[in-house]
Amino acid sequence: MQKLLKFNPKLLAKALLAVTLGQAPLAMAADDWHWHGFVAQGLMQAKDSNFVNNDGDVSAKLTEFGLNSVWQLDPSFRLAGQLMYLDGGNRFQQGLRIDYLFLNWTAINTLDWQVDLYAGRYKNSHWLFSSTRDVAITRPMIVLPQSVYFDSFRDIAVGSDGIALQSTYSSSLGELDLNWSLGATPTPKEQSQRIISNFITGATKQDFVHQISSFFRPTGSKSQWGVSLLDSDFNYRRTMTDIFADGDFTVQRVMLNWRYSEENWELSSELFQERVSVYGFYAPGVQRTQFAQGAYVLARYNLTPQTTLYASYDHFYGNKDDKGGSLLPLQTGGQVADYFGYQRDTALSLSHDFGGNWRITAEYHWTIGTGRLGPNVVPDTIVNRSKNHQLWAVQLMYWF
Amino acid sequence: MIKSAKILLLIFPSMLVYADNPPPPPLVVAHTAVAVERLSKSQLRSIYLKRQVIWPNGDKIKVYMLPAKSVTHQQFSQANLQMFPYQLEQTWQKLTFSGIGTPPVEVASAAHMLQLIQTTPGAIGYLPYGNEINNAKVIEIQP
Repeated sequence: MQKLLKFNPKLLAKALLAVTLGQAPLAMAADDWHWHGFVAQGLMQAKDSNFVNNDGDVSAKLTEFGLNSVWQLDPSFRLAGQLMYLDGGNRFQQGLRIDYLFLNWTAINTLDWQVDLYAGRYKNSHWLFSSTRDVAITRPMIVLPQSVYFDSFRDIAVGSDGIALQSTYSSSLGELDLNWSLGATPTPKEQSQRIISNFITGATKQDFVHQISSFFRPTGSKSQWGVSLLDSDFNYRRTMTDIFADGDFTVQRVMLNWRYSEENWELSSELFQERVSVYGFYAPGVQRTQFAQGAYVLARYNLTPQTTLYASYDHFYGNKDDKGGSLLPLQTGGQVADYFGYQRDTALSLSHDFGGNWRITAEYHWTIGTGRLGPNVVPDTIVNRSKNHQLWAVQLMYWF
Repeated sequence: MIKSAKILLLIFPSMLVYADNPPPPPLVVAHTAVAVERLSKSQLRSIYLKRQVIWPNGDKIKVYMLPAKSVTHQQFSQANLQMFPYQLEQTWQKLTFSGIGTPPVEVASAAHMLQLIQTTPGAIGYLPYGNEINNAKVIEIQP
């Protein structure tokens, strides 16, 4: 199974280049080849946290651009890929990456039932904003609610290498989507440090991530209801000089989501419980399990066809049995403060579209607690000394 | 009472729109060789969201749309697809940037739309109600 899931980025990069460049002159003559892209650059500042950087200065590390291509091989097969460059400061690994690159087989395509299979690097389609959380123009806000869309975990959660299925069935009752995927995501050391601890020297590997989700849109209703399940295992292998032991991690998430749309406004919400079990890592033989919980509500209001106001409230507990984080100082000899056990964020964002394909977005976040600031397993208690912290960001985007 | 009504209209501005008789929805039009006489709104939505990409006879579906700002597009989106235009735009962007699909081909005018539908096998689009339609098939849209 592991061999089946192994991903060769160099091979896929070559394939993507073949699609985007090599086939272009041939395919542009036909209408079976499409390409799109986006560029976004911004400024942001998080003075009293390590969310963007460690010194709290204004940062231009809010750069995102991508170029994608789709080649329709025949009515049932498509090859699609996207190259992307991201720089988000401390939020995620900086650099060029293959965002997705997959072969899509349309297995069933009747008027009422469609089934598509994907093999390669596919996007996570199980959450409301998961498939395009790394594409600036498709996100409702510059910084998504961190309870669900934790940026330190972004590269792992945005997609995987493996196989996926998407199906939609329409009936008189409504439309039912069923999505399934099985894969794994490479975890370079820099990324592992953002998730686990700045002090790790060993290697982290995701063994698998298995997800299933379903969405239902009742006929005549303006709402959508969904549920998604996630099961994933990771392992950590120490180096000789490591202060940590070998470890295994299990993450399991159950999430419900809901969306209601009106002509000028929309509400979206996701609610989850996540089991995180650690075996070893802190020391050989250690076993620890805790359940995190989180939820957000995101409101959209169309002030004009071009201008949109967003407001969100996001709430996260690292341990549902210790919502105030009072056990943390006791467990760590006072090194980790209680406010690392939760995070509550209130945000306002304003977007304005102009000139057809341009958008500017500005937003502000008021945050209490540091439970969703990376690293997650061994938190950064040196920079994140403030229980209350704020963030502002402005980003200009263009797409084609 | 009046204050309550004002608050309701502020929250649900669409109530204003639907208070009067809505205009007839745009006509859904396809190439004459398309062997489909009627579609449900759900099936039409599948076509415009690029989930449905081939007709039952195996021909590829070629989907056209008018500019997002046009009144006909906005009527089509709400009346025929039962989606608000911003939802449609969001979904197309999501499809485009996750590799799942590509948005419909945008054409500048209804006249150009009709011309493309007449000459492109597998084509589907929409035209304002009342437009003269020749050499193309009007598809009945069922609830």
